[in-house]
Amino acid sequence: MTTGISRSVPRVDAYDKAAGITRYIADIPVAGVCYGKLVRTSISRGTILDIDVPELPEGFWFISEGDIPEGGRNRIHMIKEDWPVFTNSEVRFYGQTIGILVGPDREQLIALADAVRVTYREQEAAFTIEEGLACRGGALHGDDNLFADYCLVKGDPESAFSRAHRVIEDVIETGFQEHVYMEPQGITVEEQDGKIVIHASCQCPFYIRKAVAPSLNRSLDDIIVRQAVTGGGFGGKEHFPDIIASAAAVAVTKVHRPVQVIFDREEDMCYSTKRHPSQVIFKTALDSENRIIGMDIDARINAGAYESCSPVVLQRLIFSSNSVYDIPNVQLRGRAVATSTIPSDAFRGFGAPQGIIAAELHMSHIAREIGMDEVELKRSLMVSKGSRTITNGTIHETVKLHEMWQRIAEVSGWHEKKSRYAPGSGRGMGAAFYLHGGGFTGSGEQDIIKARVRMVKRDDGIVEILLSNVEMGQGLQTTFRKIAAQVLDCDYRDILLADPDTDRVPDSGPTVASRSIMIVGRLVQLAAEQLKHKLHEPGAQESEAAYTQPPGCHWDQETLQGDAYPAYGWGICVIETAVDPDTCEVETLGVWTIHEIGKAIDEAIVHGQVTGGVIQALGYGSLEKLELKDGKFFQHTMADYIIPTTLDFPGVYSELVENPYPYGPFGAKGLGELVFDGAAASYAMAVQHAVDRTVSRIPVTPEYIMELKTHG
Amino acid sequence: MTDSYYPKSLSEALELRRETGAIPFAGGTDLMVRFRAQAGTLPKLPHPVLFLGHLEELRQISMDSSGTHIGASALLSDIGVSEHVHPMLSETVMLMASPPLRNLATLAGNIGNASPAGDAVCSLIALDASVVLASLSGERTLLLEEFITGPGKTVMKSDEFIREIVVPADQPDRYWYRKVGTRKANALSKLSLSAMATVHEHRVQDFRAAFGAVGPVVIRRRDLEAQVRGMTLDQLSRETEGIVDAYRPHIIPIDDQRSQAVYRLQASLNLLRRWIDLLMQGG
Repeated sequence: MTTGISRSVPRVDAYDKAAGITRYIADIPVAGVCYGKLVRTSISRGTILDIDVPELPEGFWFISEGDIPEGGRNRIHMIKEDWPVFTNSEVRFYGQTIGILVGPDREQLIALADAVRVTYREQEAAFTIEEGLACRGGALHGDDNLFADYCLVKGDPESAFSRAHRVIEDVIETGFQEHVYMEPQGITVEEQDGKIVIHASCQCPFYIRKAVAPSLNRSLDDIIVRQAVTGGGFGGKEHFPDIIASAAAVAVTKVHRPVQVIFDREEDMCYSTKRHPSQVIFKTALDSENRIIGMDIDARINAGAYESCSPVVLQRLIFSSNSVYDIPNVQLRGRAVATSTIPSDAFRGFGAPQGIIAAELHMSHIAREIGMDEVELKRSLMVSKGSRTITNGTIHETVKLHEMWQRIAEVSGWHEKKSRYAPGSGRGMGAAFYLHGGGFTGSGEQDIIKARVRMVKRDDGIVEILLSNVEMGQGLQTTFRKIAAQVLDCDYRDILLADPDTDRVPDSGPTVASRSIMIVGRLVQLAAEQLKHKLHEPGAQESEAAYTQPPGCHWDQETLQGDAYPAYGWGICVIETAVDPDTCEVETLGVWTIHEIGKAIDEAIVHGQVTGGVIQALGYGSLEKLELKDGKFFQHTMADYIIPTTLDFPGVYSELVENPYPYGPFGAKGLGELVFDGAAASYAMAVQHAVDRTVSRIPVTPEYIMELKTHG
Repeated sequence: MTDSYYPKSLSEALELRRETGAIPFAGGTDLMVRFRAQAGTLPKLPHPVLFLGHLEELRQISMDSSGTHIGASALLSDIGVSEHVHPMLSETVMLMASPPLRNLATLAGNIGNASPAGDAVCSLIALDASVVLASLSGERTLLLEEFITGPGKTVMKSDEFIREIVVPADQPDRYWYRKVGTRKANALSKLSLSAMATVHEHRVQDFRAAFGAVGPVVIRRRDLEAQVRGMTLDQLSRETEGIVDAYRPHIIPIDDQRSQAVYRLQASLNLLRRWIDLLMQGG
């Protein structure tokens, strides 16, 4: 039986959520509320010539660029000043916000929004990566449509390619993915005591504050963000709430009433951000004994119409594009391409899944080409402690992938099945190896986030944790309490931890990047250790912990050289499939995973994350087709955009290997995204084995498999 | 607001239907989705509605010498477990939607909606099912194939509604139902096949194949079925590719959000070929 901190406890939020007691933002009535309805562009690129708003009944307003308070910026501050709050001229994508209609009646708002007439001068638009690179219709951004253009060099690739006996070329592609958080986007903005208070279903309360303040020309302290109970985020509530909050906040400064914007599912699917589609082109140099001696990688992502966090997503993609392999000589170019689609944004994995899928599929294709077992090829190149990364940094930790492989091969029956299922027999096995760097990329934690956690013992002796990371289903309300309780030697349920309010809590950073436990949890531990000494002193006591970079980590953000991440989580996912010979439908017969995340803070929560992440990745890899048609998403209802049900995949076998990380709480590292990174690749390789065809893109739909079988 | 009528009996329902032309509404699982409006607002039903789901007279499932009678408002969840219902129909129904939807949805609704992807319609057409249309002027019975004329189109008159569905008692010995959905549950069909046959002493005595979601209506070709009837299994084996080719021009799917025409055609023909193989193997 598991003991210590890993032993599972009842989650503090579970009962109320399961029983339907928890109230989400749309469930909370607001006195005197005005509902907000966004009015959006109906073309993908061009210029607005005229906006004709119908005569509005009393109590209704149309808020647009001209309503931004004096001195306010019509730009939403994300990583930098980015999307306009409202456009009144340039149109860069379908569904861009022109204005917001507010009023007390939703039916009337819909009718009024339908009656707004916008005249445009339309322009040719680029939607795909290729069209973006070709600057179709003229460049949308700069003169080359590139939000970012990075190069990496490891070793001496030029010499490797000059020595090459043969070069294997490959193109791996991934598509859009919709988050389908359980609760659609929602926000309520109101004035209180001269300040603007924003209640949001969100991941990053301090991001919203930073985004909104410049548009209102107010100080950061004038904006208060209170996280509402959040029904799932997956990255979709990292930046997108900024978009709605900015528009609603401008409206509130005009109408002086609370404004609430709640999306329904279809609106959310049509107009919220998605995962970046990717295209990774490999050229791999082999010597005369078929050893990999060099690799040339050209990685492109479809960033959409505004920059958003695309450069950072691209960084994580390229830093993950050698996955767990130590490739001797590498040259890489990575580009974030502007197109007239809704800006792509954060999604669980943040570029790493695209990089890892590309690396895993490419390695399996090399193995097919040279007639080698793909797992043996991969194992021969695996990183270990001291290995050099693609950014010429160092793997600082012991890598346990070989022992993890022994274990997962055994429980999945890998060797027996792999030899029994002939390629093309209809049965297939796939194995993906992966890693995920915990925390912000590069020096982000140290230079940008600078997380702080405060802990107080009140007069009455009750301990409260103050930080800005949110519970969004991943269990933080429980795990943070457990970390503090373990240090303070008390019951985790006796510790207070409220949903964050930017007016009360220090900024411990956003709830993203698998950083909450590894980075912020560590600060909770440190703050608790400080407070422990003062716990029995009379009166209120307080402690605070601030982030410091682990020793020995070096990073240069200018050159992208050094340790991109201080530590990694590691994983292997094995999948067994059977492909129907008539319809190419795929039955997944088994899913086996093993992960090394340092130390589990709560085993049941970890297993929940593993199952959720793996199934979400399997949806991405098999079912979740999201196509653009004339700049609009073709699949925009739950009937057409297909996510898995409990019947689509079997239970996920999940095992953990411990390898405590000295700078994480009780040895814990990041987990939330790692568990998403490998399953789609594993699935694609299992299908590849079953049908004996080269699978080069996801989702691997029955339609794609049929195409492969028909045309090779 | 939508006008709605809640009759207490079948006869009152027939009167209201004639008087108001209100659209028959049983479980509402199609209508409420089709006419949904945005968050926080009521559905925008363009016509008045006539609630029929609660009428006990329409919820019965019974059997007599002519076959199984399934009331228009019988729930899919009841049909799926009824001992009176042909197993191919039970299987079809239990693969439709999800348990909560099956607890509301009805067979008549699936028929009246007349979607080419309506799963029950495909199996019912293979089963030679009829619909009984009632109005104050009396009743008429039509083969389901004649009732549905196009996507969303039926020959139902404005004073009529479906009272029951009749599935003949006399059915082929064997059946095979394959739904190729967008996923394993709560899924719309990309394509489906409802196939039936009787093979006696190595000779095909009856052969039926109905294809769903691959044309404007469910595709069943009685002319092609007649050509297969009477074949010996040896002939069937030799003629397999000819039969598959004969069906090919009649399967005319489209590309849409859920699948592609080229896939739908190929998978449909593969399933037909598989069905013929199954007959030859006797398994």
